[in-house]
Amino acid sequence: MLQQIVLGLREGSLFSLVALGLVIVYKTSGVVNFAYGHMGMFATYITFTFYAILGMPFYLSVIIGLVFAVVIGIVTERFLLRPVRHLSHSAMLIITLGLLMLLEGLALLIWKQDYQQLPNIISGKPFILRFEGGMIVLPPQDLLIFVLTAAIVFGTFFYLKFTKLGLAIRASSQNEEAAKLMGIKVGSVYSFAWGFGTGLSALAAILAAPKTNVHPSMMVDLQVQGLTAAVLGGFESLPGAIVGGLLLGVIEQFIGKYISVELKMTFALLIIIVLLLVKPSGLLGKSTKRRV
Amino acid sequence: MLELNNVKLKYGYVEALKGISLNVKEKTITSLLGANGAGKSTTLRAISGINEISDGEIKFRGEGIDSLDTSSIVEKKIVQCPEGRKLFPALSVYENLLAGAYTVKDKSKIKSKVEEMYENFPILSERKKQMAGTLSGGEQQMLAIARSLMTDPELLMLDEPSLGLAPKIVEEIFDILVDLKKTGKTIFLVEQNANTALHVSDYAYILEVGNVVLEGTGGEMLANPEVKKKYLGG
Repeated sequence: MLQQIVLGLREGSLFSLVALGLVIVYKTSGVVNFAYGHMGMFATYITFTFYAILGMPFYLSVIIGLVFAVVIGIVTERFLLRPVRHLSHSAMLIITLGLLMLLEGLALLIWKQDYQQLPNIISGKPFILRFEGGMIVLPPQDLLIFVLTAAIVFGTFFYLKFTKLGLAIRASSQNEEAAKLMGIKVGSVYSFAWGFGTGLSALAAILAAPKTNVHPSMMVDLQVQGLTAAVLGGFESLPGAIVGGLLLGVIEQFIGKYISVELKMTFALLIIIVLLLVKPSGLLGKSTKRRV
Repeated sequence: MLELNNVKLKYGYVEALKGISLNVKEKTITSLLGANGAGKSTTLRAISGINEISDGEIKFRGEGIDSLDTSSIVEKKIVQCPEGRKLFPALSVYENLLAGAYTVKDKSKIKSKVEEMYENFPILSERKKQMAGTLSGGEQQMLAIARSLMTDPELLMLDEPSLGLAPKIVEEIFDILVDLKKTGKTIFLVEQNANTALHVSDYAYILEVGNVVLEGTGGEMLANPEVKKKYLGG
């Protein structure tokens, strides 16, 4: 039981990381980014190209991949979404869907369908947890994902709560026009959120790459799992994204162990549908009280 | 202080402002009155740079501001308190005030401004940790005005501050505006509630379907039979 929980948390922390980026972009600009996973995939290919093809040092290649992701996030917001922002949210959703197809097509064109490999960011002796009835082997990369997710969550929370730009992000997400009237440069706030969110997608993809391999569909499952984790947590709540991701990891682990490995995603989604029917705002989502 | 010369603004093919000219003098309350859809809020949106004008010019202290973005206009201390308050409902009263001071860089100035607002609007001090969305209508309007005052604006523009409020609260809000004028602020007021607005206004303009059709001092307007018939209910 404990073993399943730990293994579930290990998987779930990656779902949390994906969900976190999706929630930040949604919370700020009101757009569910369907291309989110593919933007991470493309950045991972950039890392792969610099590392495996051009022979640059691995860590430098990772940084280049992350910077590339931040830049495509900002460019997407500034040049693809901002011009249609005044039309409707659906217009922006369609653009993210188009971007998903474009990135997948480009990846196939440039890097073909072959599965490529990327090493772990950290390697070394795995940590072994022994307990009555079994043991758990935790590779350092999995611990890194735990630590990075926790650090990003706390960092983001404190940044949003206690800095001037954090206040601008929260204000813009609640009322764009009022934020403008306070002198907040709302466009820059959205660009920041897209850059940061896409950077998180790339981080998640680079961390997942040693297990998924690098290929054009490498982030499809993770995107669905991240989206599910975000919905589970309430979609607008950062702690919700984390709890949702970890919980989904544990649910999937138990279903995989006791019901069927093939059906674990189906069952997990079913549980989520039931949960949303009972509590539509998600586990940690809040319905804002307002007086009129 | 603020001059609009032959300002035109279009929403697609619809001309919402058809060439309006008006003047807001320093340390006065100037009102822009008119029915729904006359173009009052559009005028404020044009001044704040939310909507681009298609012709004419907007000048503040003799300098053209119609090509500036909203952020630069706020930095010139032209601040709008929007229609329907438009607070940040899930931010606390204190955080709403901080958002109002976004263009102010001096932290000690922000702190003293917050204290000043708590002093002038004691109810906000009592509610400082409460989410803005949970305040009553009158409290929300006070917070909206206080938030607009955080940058210490030279020109404060208010869009329908009496909207949806009980008569007693409206009276309180207009008393606040008169007090602000006494402290040297210039106020440009957009209102449907012509009677109350004209009683506190030094000068007023009446807007009908995108045109200024009448102007005069508050007293002149109150005595004008056409204004009485159309806007004062008798």
